[in-house]
Amino acid sequence: MGKLSKSAKIYLAFVFFILYAPIFYLIFYSFNSGGTMSSFDGFTMEHYAAVFSDTRLIIIVLNTIIVALLSALISTAIGVLGAIGIVFLRNRNMRKAVLSLNNILIVSPDVIIGASFLILFTMVGVKLGFASVLISHIAFSIPIVVIMVLPKLQEMSSSLIDAAADLGASKRDILTRVIIPYIKPGIFAGFFLALTYSLDDFAVTFFVTGNGFSTLSVEIYSMARAGITLTINALSALIFVVTLGLVVGYYFFNQRARQPVETGGNKL
Amino acid sequence: MKEIIRASIAILIVVALLFYAVSFLEKSSATSSDGGSITVFNWGEYIDPEVIAQFEEETNIKVVYETFDSNEAMMTKIEQGGTSYDVAMPSEYAIEKMKENDLLRPVDLEKIPNLTNIDPYFLDLPFDPGNEYSIPYFWGTVGIAYNPSLLDGQTFESWNDLWDPSLKEEVIIVDGAREAIGMGLNSLGYSLNSTNLSELREATDKLKTLGPNIKAVIGDEIVEMMRREEAAIALTWSGQAADMMFVNENIDFSIPEEGSNLWFDNMVIPKTTDNPEGAHEFINFMLDAEVAAQNTNYVGYSTPNKAATELMDSEIVEDERFYPPEELRERLEVYKNLGPEMLGVYNELFLEFKMDMKK
Repeated sequence: MGKLSKSAKIYLAFVFFILYAPIFYLIFYSFNSGGTMSSFDGFTMEHYAAVFSDTRLIIIVLNTIIVALLSALISTAIGVLGAIGIVFLRNRNMRKAVLSLNNILIVSPDVIIGASFLILFTMVGVKLGFASVLISHIAFSIPIVVIMVLPKLQEMSSSLIDAAADLGASKRDILTRVIIPYIKPGIFAGFFLALTYSLDDFAVTFFVTGNGFSTLSVEIYSMARAGITLTINALSALIFVVTLGLVVGYYFFNQRARQPVETGGNKL
Repeated sequence: MKEIIRASIAILIVVALLFYAVSFLEKSSATSSDGGSITVFNWGEYIDPEVIAQFEEETNIKVVYETFDSNEAMMTKIEQGGTSYDVAMPSEYAIEKMKENDLLRPVDLEKIPNLTNIDPYFLDLPFDPGNEYSIPYFWGTVGIAYNPSLLDGQTFESWNDLWDPSLKEEVIIVDGAREAIGMGLNSLGYSLNSTNLSELREATDKLKTLGPNIKAVIGDEIVEMMRREEAAIALTWSGQAADMMFVNENIDFSIPEEGSNLWFDNMVIPKTTDNPEGAHEFINFMLDAEVAAQNTNYVGYSTPNKAATELMDSEIVEDERFYPPEELRERLEVYKNLGPEMLGVYNELFLEFKMDMKK
């Protein structure tokens, strides 16, 4: 790639400014002693102290992360197998039909998915709480994982599999040593997308939470009437910093791990 | 493949650690709960967390606390079941609807001796005669928030003051059909719960003549706009006005003399309750004078608890803008549930008024 022209650089800087400005604005006011976001009165750490003294809020944050990680993990496993299943479906019309069913789930509004889950759970008699939230998050993440993994599978040449079979690989070997390593980037992309979807989701989660189990998005939405406090700013700032740390950590880890993997590719 | 397995194991370990942290936190925050537990369903930021801790300590009943963001969402969840809510805090019109749909359990007033703390004015209201199903929690009014520093000495004793030609593009109206049409009805001296079509037509026509003075018809952004002095006048709820005044001392609030709306949030016991004893105990506890005073100081809305107001800062409870005197309160009206058809009429007239403004 050639060097960026000056105007392109300015444009890029502008886009990043727009993307990050609200976050920094929010973090800035998390240090405000004034109590609201309208004027900055002075520096204080009291909102951070409030986050750590509010056990209920911390439990909600931890629950949110648990649900996100678990649901992303499980839906990735199911979604990858589903995508492989779709690609190897012999009947062309059948394949198209399954794929369309998958896509319908992606475009259908969250509110409808949430309401249907609520009706289903109460009909079957499942108590609302951790399990119901986890199940519904897994359900709405699977189609996303499928969509992320599918292009990688389609781009893979079928002669790779034929060659492996000719060399005497069993079906299991083909799956674990040929297909999965090849689609690995898609798997990770699917996992991270499912993770963010789960962290973000309000509409579905609202319907299926219960018995004291709640996630951060539901908690913040319900503050809308009486006013969102700066505690939430402080919490968001903390989450932003932790995320930033994770991304930087992942980057360094990847840089270091890359060299041996690339030279010793047969280790896969 | 190895990398994927390794990543999965790492995630599972993190999840296990988080689970451990959650159970540890829950254990350390929970008091011995031999009195069972109750699930309370309330608006966000609408209770002092200290009060809950105090209740748990005193009664040994554990409180599972959940929040909602609208009456409608709350009703859906209660109607569907799945969680056994023991106490909820809906607004008055929602209580009427919940009664109709048979979602509520009658409150046993004998188990709530602290009811005597409540100002009788707030009991036995049209949405729940005899307080069979509900106990008042917080209340407020609809009125005019205004910023005198941006105006030349106008005051707002009457709704008709808003029609002053000098207020061109200064008035913000809250985006609610009943609030806006209600203002039209009040300014003509009619009831807020009018179902008389010719009265409603008259009110809408009068509202249309306010057009040139209107800057915007919006929702929660009003608070921010008034704080930043982008607008001088707003038709809004007393709670929102209190929020504005908390930050911008220039702002004042008045309830026009023709009368206005009085709104309520109340504690009810849904039919789904598992622990009606605990629910009654909780409601009674919230009505305790000291508890109610502490909770009111935290939440900032007006309390119906007379005994509590005696314990509170006199500057707050003597503020007639938020605790209007009796002669004004007599002119305040609580919304009645007008039924879906009449509500449709209100919404249509409100839409007509909004469309007329575009000209």
